[in-house]
Amino acid sequence: MVQFTLPKNSKITKGKEWNPPAVDAEPGRWREYRVYRYDPETADNPRVDTYWVDMNDCGPMVLDALLWIKNKIDPTLTFRRSCREGVCGSCSMNIDGTNTLACTMHAEEAKGAAIAIYPLPHMPVVKDLVPDMTRFYAQHREIEPWLKTDSPTPQKEWRQSHDDREKLDGLYECILCACCSTACPSYWWNGDRYLGPAILLQANRWVEDSRDERTGERLDDLEDPFRLYRCHTILNCTKACPKGLNPAASIASLKRKMVERS
Amino acid sequence: MATPLKRVRGLGAAHHGTETFWRQRLTAVANVPLVIFLIWFVVRNAGASYNDVKACLASPVVAVLMLALIWSGAIHMRIGLREIIEDYLHNKLCKTASLMLATFFAALVGIASTLAIVKISFGG
Repeated sequence: MVQFTLPKNSKITKGKEWNPPAVDAEPGRWREYRVYRYDPETADNPRVDTYWVDMNDCGPMVLDALLWIKNKIDPTLTFRRSCREGVCGSCSMNIDGTNTLACTMHAEEAKGAAIAIYPLPHMPVVKDLVPDMTRFYAQHREIEPWLKTDSPTPQKEWRQSHDDREKLDGLYECILCACCSTACPSYWWNGDRYLGPAILLQANRWVEDSRDERTGERLDDLEDPFRLYRCHTILNCTKACPKGLNPAASIASLKRKMVERS
Repeated sequence: MATPLKRVRGLGAAHHGTETFWRQRLTAVANVPLVIFLIWFVVRNAGASYNDVKACLASPVVAVLMLALIWSGAIHMRIGLREIIEDYLHNKLCKTASLMLATFFAALVGIASTLAIVKISFGG
């Protein structure tokens, strides 16, 4: 649903300034982070807290700064993280105005002096920087992301040529971080019916797979004015993908196949 | 209490949409030369008298191209309006009423413009 203003209980208030550096602090040593905070166990509205990170004592990535804050300043700050090298997709969040992974974003890449960090846009917030991904995962389940065959299972393996395998490059690398889907206005307004770029890229990954024997059935399940055709080629998805993938191209490929078989 | 999967599946896939997608692209492609033609027509007839413009519009080539532009434009507009309404209006009553009005509006523009061109073509 289109929302031009935040609901009353989501309006952001000014938060706490945790550890302002001394007036005579070494210039450039302390980096300012403004972090979205929300605790569902209180009746308080979300707020933006300000933390100062000692760059001489902290790693170069934004995730390093968040961990530094959590370990040294405020242990209540909540966020997801796991691999710290861009393969798990846990630490996706909105940093400096862009959806990306905190672990692969260098603090120096941020344009502003203060780095603003918010959860992924237009998702329900569980706490602080942790969005509720339930619907996103259900949508992934809906496209049945596994090999579907009817032929008798071969004794050793389902074979695939090198050329066919290459068709999956740029598709299999998706880590389901949801940076693309939550950057898409169509997904913001119609996320209950539109599958969004991440899930459509995943759907295309199985449509493209030469071993899969249910291509037509997969396309049938996608052919819908909302599930697929709510994509208006805005291309925020491709711009946002921290893995450098192109979900918009996958969506275009699905649409081409729909036309081809019509 | 419905599960997330139940909510995501909703009423299932509609199994259509490709025809609309193709029609939208087709009319978009058609509109490019047709709109260039319209601009050319307007520039060429800027400052011309009423009778001269009428005579120009009555020529078969111009009339056919104008009719093509009107229908291609009306169909494209109908698809676009529907997309916008579906994107932004989620109240069922409001959405259904707007979709009906958008269809009527596009049809009215198409029919009225067609009538005007046909009338001029036949010397009306």
